[in-house]
Amino acid sequence: MAPEDIQQIFLQECEEGLASAEEALLTIKAGAHDQETINTIFRAVHSIKGGAGAFGFLALQSFTHHFETVLDKARDGELLLDAALTELLISAFDVLADHVAAIRGAGDAPDDAAMIDALRTALTIKPAAGAAAPGPQAPALSFDLGTMMAALSQEPDPDPSGIAPSDATASDGDDTSDGQAEWEIMFAPTGGDLINGAEPLLVIRELIELGGRIVSVNADRVPPVDAFDPAAAYVTWRLRLPGTLDEARVREPFDFVSDPASVAIARAPGSPVADHVAPRPQTDPAAGGRPVPAAEPLPDNVVRLERAEPVSRPAPPAAAAVADAKAKAANGATIRVDLEKLDRLVDLVGELVITQSMLSQRLLSSGMTRLEELTDLDQLTRELQDSAMAIRAQPVRSVFGRVPRIVRELEASTGKRVNLEVEGEATELDKTVIERIGEPLTHLVRNCVDHGIETPAERIACGKPPEGRLRLSAEHKGSRIVISVSDDGRGIDRARVLEIAVKRGIVPVDAKLSDEEIDQLIFAPGFSTAQQVSSISGRGVGMDVVRQNVQALGGRVTIQSTLGAGSTFALALPLTLAIVDGMIVSVADQTYIIPLTHVVESLRPERGAVQSTGFGNRMLNVRGSYLPVLGVGDKLGVAGAISEPAEAVLIVVETEGLGTAILMVDEIIDQRQVVIKSLETHYQQVEGVAGATILGDGRVALILDVEGIVALRDGTMPRLLAS
Amino acid sequence: MKQILAVDDSMSMRMLLRASLTAAGFKVEEAEDGRAALEWLDNNSPTLVITDINMPRLDGFGLIAELRARDRFRDIPVLVLTTESSPEKKARAREAGATGWIVKPFDPEKLAAAVRRVTH
Repeated sequence: MAPEDIQQIFLQECEEGLASAEEALLTIKAGAHDQETINTIFRAVHSIKGGAGAFGFLALQSFTHHFETVLDKARDGELLLDAALTELLISAFDVLADHVAAIRGAGDAPDDAAMIDALRTALTIKPAAGAAAPGPQAPALSFDLGTMMAALSQEPDPDPSGIAPSDATASDGDDTSDGQAEWEIMFAPTGGDLINGAEPLLVIRELIELGGRIVSVNADRVPPVDAFDPAAAYVTWRLRLPGTLDEARVREPFDFVSDPASVAIARAPGSPVADHVAPRPQTDPAAGGRPVPAAEPLPDNVVRLERAEPVSRPAPPAAAAVADAKAKAANGATIRVDLEKLDRLVDLVGELVITQSMLSQRLLSSGMTRLEELTDLDQLTRELQDSAMAIRAQPVRSVFGRVPRIVRELEASTGKRVNLEVEGEATELDKTVIERIGEPLTHLVRNCVDHGIETPAERIACGKPPEGRLRLSAEHKGSRIVISVSDDGRGIDRARVLEIAVKRGIVPVDAKLSDEEIDQLIFAPGFSTAQQVSSISGRGVGMDVVRQNVQALGGRVTIQSTLGAGSTFALALPLTLAIVDGMIVSVADQTYIIPLTHVVESLRPERGAVQSTGFGNRMLNVRGSYLPVLGVGDKLGVAGAISEPAEAVLIVVETEGLGTAILMVDEIIDQRQVVIKSLETHYQQVEGVAGATILGDGRVALILDVEGIVALRDGTMPRLLAS
Repeated sequence: MKQILAVDDSMSMRMLLRASLTAAGFKVEEAEDGRAALEWLDNNSPTLVITDINMPRLDGFGLIAELRARDRFRDIPVLVLTTESSPEKKARAREAGATGWIVKPFDPEKLAAAVRRVTH
C-alpha cells in the first residue's frame, strides 16, 4: 500500500473520530454522560494526534496535543467537567474539525492560538500540569513524509540486522565533534532488565553495531551454577564508543533499560579520536595491564582481520594524518571475512609457492642462474605466504584472557595465593591452534596451582613468600611459538613420580630413567601424583590429554623442574597448520615426507644389530630400549625398497598412542617446509597417509601419517578409507 | 520470517506499522484492539507485539496484563505505542509489563531500531 493511500485512510479515520467525539460532546452537554463518554473523545483526539504526527501535519499535531491534555485531566477527574469546561471542549472540537478540513484541502488551517491559550488556561488550576505538557516537541518529533516514502519504496530488507548500518552512524556528528574523546560506558543490567521479554545483550549488540567495543566484562559476581538465580543479572560491561557519536545516539540503546542508575556514560579522559581506529581487543591500561576479552565474540567460521598497514610511506603532513585517522574511524579498522575465503587464499598462495619453486628449479637447471627477477619473485612469494598465514593468526590474548579468572577460582577453592604474571599476549598464532590450545593451557594452569604451588603456610615454612608466582608467557622461537606456564612451587618430586609409575605398572620396577623421562611420566595415561584426587585437576585424566591435544596440533610439551623451586611446562606449537616441517625421504622410486615433529633421530645400524623376533617382526636395541623396526615400503606395499637395515636409513619416530618406533627408508633426501595439500579433497583418505605436497621438481609426495603407519599391519596394501 | 502483531484501533496507524516493518523484513499481523489481539494470540506465537495504549474494549495495558498472566507470553517482548516520551509514561508502561516503547510519530528507522532492541 502506498503512503498516499494510508494517508487517505487516516483522513477517513479523522472523520469517524470527529463524528463519535461530536456525539459524545452532545451527550455530555445533555448531562447524560459517563466515564466512557469522555474516554471516547479522548481516544478520538489521541488517534488524530498520532496520525497527524506520522503524516507530518504539525499544526494539527500541536493542537490535538493541547486538546488531549485537557481531555486527559477531565477523564482523570482532575478537571471538573462543568458547563464551562464542556463549552470549552465543544469550541475546541470545532477548531479541530477546521484543522481536519484544512488538511483535506477544504479551506485554510484555522488560527488556533486563542483556543490553545484557552486550553492552557483551563489547565492552570494545576500549574504543574502545564509544566508537564510543554507542547508538542515539534522539532524533536518532526517527521518528513518524503523520507518515509523513500524508505517505504525500498525493497524489503531481507536481513533485518542491516537496519542500523554502522556506516550511517559512524558519520553521525562527524562534522561537529571531530577529535572528541571516546565515550566510556559502564552498564550493569539489573534483574529488571531480564523480565518482560527484555534482553540486555541486545543493548550490547546495538552498541557494537554503533562501532562500540567491549573493554572489559566483569563476571566476578556470577555465582556457582547451583546458586544461580535466572531472574538476577550478575555481569557488568565496560564499553567504549567512538567519540564522533553524539550523546543522544549513545544513550538511545539504553532507552528500555529499567534502572537509569545501571548505566553510566561519560567521555573517556585522554582518549584521542585515533584511539578507536583499532577496535580490537587490547590490553587496557585502566584494567591494570591485564588482558581483556575479545572485543566481540565471533562465530567460529569467521576470523577477525586487522587492517594491514602499508609497509612504508612518506610521513604525511599532520592534516593528512588527521584525515587518514578519520577515514579509518569511518571505515572501521577491521573487516570480517568468511573463513572459507581465507582458506582458499592460503591454499592459492600455497599453489603459488609450489609453482614458484618449480619454476626456479627449471630455470636453474637450464643454466639461468643469475636472474635477479627470480630472486625477487622468490622473496615476494615468501612474503606473500607469510602475509596470508598472518591473516589467520590471532593474538594468544584471547586464550590468556581466561586465565586470571581460572586462577581466581583456584585461589578461592584451594586457599592458595597466586600472583599471575602474563607476558607476550600479543604473540600471534594460527586461529585453529588458538582454538584448540585453550583446554590444554587451562589444564596446565590448574595443574600448576593445584599441584605445584604450596599453601601460604607451607610456603612460609620453606622461606618463600606466601603468594605463589604463576607466569604465563608466549614467544616466538624459530618457526614455533612457545607458550610456557611456570610456577615457583614445589617442583616435581621425581622419586615419588617414579614410585607411582612403578606402582601403576607404567614402567618396570628396574627401569633406569633419566630425569627428563621421569618428568614425561606425568603425561602417561592414568598417571596422577595428587595425594588425594582433587576436584580441580587430579582425576588423572588431565595431563595425558594435554599432551595428546598439543601433539595433535603438531606441537610438543616439555617440562623443566627443580625440586622445591618450581616447574615450567612449555608448549612448542607450529605457527600454522598449512605448512609442515618435513624430512623428505625416498623408498624405492617413491618420495615421502615424514613430519619433523615425530622425528627423534636417524641412524644406520651395524649389520646384524636388527634382530628378528619372528613373524617378520624386527627389533633394534636403541640405548637399552627395544624398538620395532618398520619398513615403510612393507607397510605401504611399495616393491623394491631396501630390505637390509644396514644399507637403509632408520628413523626413530615418536607417536602418541603407540610409543616410539623406527621407520626404515632407503635414503634421506632433504629437510624443508612443505605446503600441506589435502589428499582427501583430490582423491580420498588413505591409511598411513596424512596428506600430500608438491615438490619443487613438480613431483607429488605423500606426507606420512606416522601414527597410522606404525599401526598398519605389514604386507597389506593400505586400505582406502571411506571419505 | 519474524512475525510481529501490531495492535491499534486506528487502521492508518496499523498500515504505517505494517509498511515500515514489512520494509524492515518482518511479517506483520494486525489486530484492532486488545481483545482481538488476544483472540489471534490464542493460536499464534509472534516474535513481538506492538500495541497502542488507548483502544476500545481492551486497552494496551490490559492486553499486556493478560499476556504476562499467561505462561506462553510471560517473556514475549511487547512495545507500546505512546505519544509521549516522559519518564512518567515510560515508568507506567514498564510497570504494566511493557518491554519498551515507541514514541508516536515514529519514523521507520526509529521503529526498526526499537524492534531490534527487543528481538534477537
